[in-house]
Amino acid sequence: MTMTDSPPATETASAAPSPAVAGLYESLTTTDHKRIGRIWLQSGVLLLVGALVLGVLLGIERLDADSTDIFGGDNAYFQIWALYRIALVLLVAAPLFIGLATIVVPMQVGSTNIAFPRAALSAVWGFLIGAGIMIAAVLANGGWGAVDRASGDERDAVALTLVGMGMVVLSLLLASLCIATTVISMRVKGMTLLRTPLFAWSMLVACAVWMLTLPVLLANLLVAYVDLHNGPGTFGGGLSGDLSIYGQIAWIVEQPQVYAFAIPVLGILGSIVPVAAGVRGARHGLSLGLIGFFGLLSVGAWAQPYFQETNDALVRYDEKFVYIAFGIAAIFPVLGAIGGAADSVFRGRDRVAGLPPAHLLGALGGGVLLLAGTAAGVARVIQPLDLGDRVSVAGVMNLVLFAAIASAIAGLWFWAPKIGGHELSPMLGRMVVAEIVLGAVLLGGAQFINGFFLTANNPLVAPTEDAADVLNLVSLLGMALIALGALGLLASLAKAMRSGETGADDPWSGHTLEWATATPPPAGNFAEPPALVTSESPLLDISPDEAADEGEES
Amino acid sequence: MTTTTTALPSAEITRPRTVLVGTMFGSGAAFMAFLGVVLVYVSERASARSAGAEWFPDGTIELGPSGFIFSTLILSIFTVQWAVQAINNNDRTNALVALALSGLFGASVFNQLWFIMNDTGFSLAETNGQFMFFVVLGTFVAFMIVAVGFIALTFVRAFIGQFGPRKADSVAAAAFYWNTVVAMYAIAWYVIFVTK
Repeated sequence: MTMTDSPPATETASAAPSPAVAGLYESLTTTDHKRIGRIWLQSGVLLLVGALVLGVLLGIERLDADSTDIFGGDNAYFQIWALYRIALVLLVAAPLFIGLATIVVPMQVGSTNIAFPRAALSAVWGFLIGAGIMIAAVLANGGWGAVDRASGDERDAVALTLVGMGMVVLSLLLASLCIATTVISMRVKGMTLLRTPLFAWSMLVACAVWMLTLPVLLANLLVAYVDLHNGPGTFGGGLSGDLSIYGQIAWIVEQPQVYAFAIPVLGILGSIVPVAAGVRGARHGLSLGLIGFFGLLSVGAWAQPYFQETNDALVRYDEKFVYIAFGIAAIFPVLGAIGGAADSVFRGRDRVAGLPPAHLLGALGGGVLLLAGTAAGVARVIQPLDLGDRVSVAGVMNLVLFAAIASAIAGLWFWAPKIGGHELSPMLGRMVVAEIVLGAVLLGGAQFINGFFLTANNPLVAPTEDAADVLNLVSLLGMALIALGALGLLASLAKAMRSGETGADDPWSGHTLEWATATPPPAGNFAEPPALVTSESPLLDISPDEAADEGEES
Repeated sequence: MTTTTTALPSAEITRPRTVLVGTMFGSGAAFMAFLGVVLVYVSERASARSAGAEWFPDGTIELGPSGFIFSTLILSIFTVQWAVQAINNNDRTNALVALALSGLFGASVFNQLWFIMNDTGFSLAETNGQFMFFVVLGTFVAFMIVAVGFIALTFVRAFIGQFGPRKADSVAAAAFYWNTVVAMYAIAWYVIFVTK
């Protein structure tokens, strides 16, 4: 603990801005949370592009699996299919939110740095090394295997995949610990938990849920790893185990656990929409409660095959009351949050009239996708529909995870001046967000409907209905559209980095403390301690415009 | 915006109990990882029993030695809390003695566990039951090593005078993690040695 106990190097505020592009040495040794967060974001964006390339290839393969063989056999096809899913959760959605939070949360709570900055730095590099090992090992035929093949053919590569994935999970846990501790113990005076900005609160809830559930994944990996080397071979570690390794860990990409990676969607919605509409967010306490409730419903480590009753009268975990109740209840907090956003848009309708900014589009798009995902999740748990083994499960996953990705991109556009010191192109932003949201609707929607045509979730099982082929084509088009959006995202970031133009300190008339500092923020974040916080929107309490507006209303 | 923010008095930037809060989160995560392994054990045992299979051979798991470990760890709860109390009272000598005793108890736990593992004569690859026995206890040993390391580090820092009544956060953090590991053993003891 000594490495994290000493005060951060940025304790003393300095007016010198941190450079946007850091050299490798600085990236390896920095304790500035903004630089650490940028490494997370860059990694997340690059891995997103990689995951989408896999997604497009998988879509092509699924169109006609009998005559197309892109991956060189069924086992390799299944391994890449599993990699795409695991990557979307652990290598894309979680890192994007952690990157945003590592940069924004300390500023939102008025802190000079993140808690345990050296641990946060170790987390990001541990993540990158772990992700590299995991991807390389899967490509070396060491991935998670299909139901009848527990793993890839190369035993050592399988072990390496488990090690890499374990490193990724540990790194995500360490980063979560730093963010959660920042929110709990480093808030500026006057900022009670009830006055915490919604994004910071949603990250606290998300990190807490991740810290409760990802260690269980770690336990699954540990059992499989030990079994692989010296065990009896019945825990997925053997090449012909009772359960495949993917079968053990698939709960991480299925409901309710997959919702845990979309908790910050609600925080971003509540942070961006009132600012874009130019109104104070209503019922802050209720919004905090809704996010907390959604977090509670997304704890899903218990819903895995390992913990189901395996006696004669087999009761599957997804047929139990708790699972069904969680699945149905999850839609209500999302509905509540969207209702709050709609209320803000309605009150600020004059300001949002016309072409909406990219961050507003992204936040609303993410919210709507999450609503669609949780609605599809409700259908998934209704037993008579029997969608449990069908591709509808993938539809829920894609809708929820692309809700997370669209929201993270909205956050990138919104907080861009504080992240890299530049504003991002609004036109490109609208295109990127529109492509990703529309693509996700096509992809997830088509997969969800495809389940009703008896198409199996397992990609190695060929569809039986003609309609499935059409829906597979629509899914592929959706994935291609998302990939196009990701390329636009890369282009926007490259354009902003090249421009060299410094963004405004507060281009959106923000409500929370990150907008009270300069762009780019100086080392230590605030040139002078932020003002005493007296509400959840501290900058509105002191803005002359707000005072004038309130005077008119009264 | 900068001009308007100065209209209100500046707030203090405080960082109370950061190490303790971080340790609590970390301990919670560690506990969940251990619980995950234990639940696999319980689940597999239930499967084996419902299929009428033997989980452990009769007479191989004894309550006595594992009970000694539990007693040792219960004693250690008092010694780590003694260390916290001593640091809060600025009594460095007592704190050092308490931390050293806690570390010693930890070392004795390794010794006793080693005895149990050898005494059972189990093999990792033999059966699911024997495999899970080693996985659960091995995971506990890993967390115990971290706990003893944490206590050792706290001892060194206390020895060179880094703690005092207003700076007892790290000692409390070490004690919290230690108590979490004791709770882990309590679960393992009940599940493996009592209910077998």
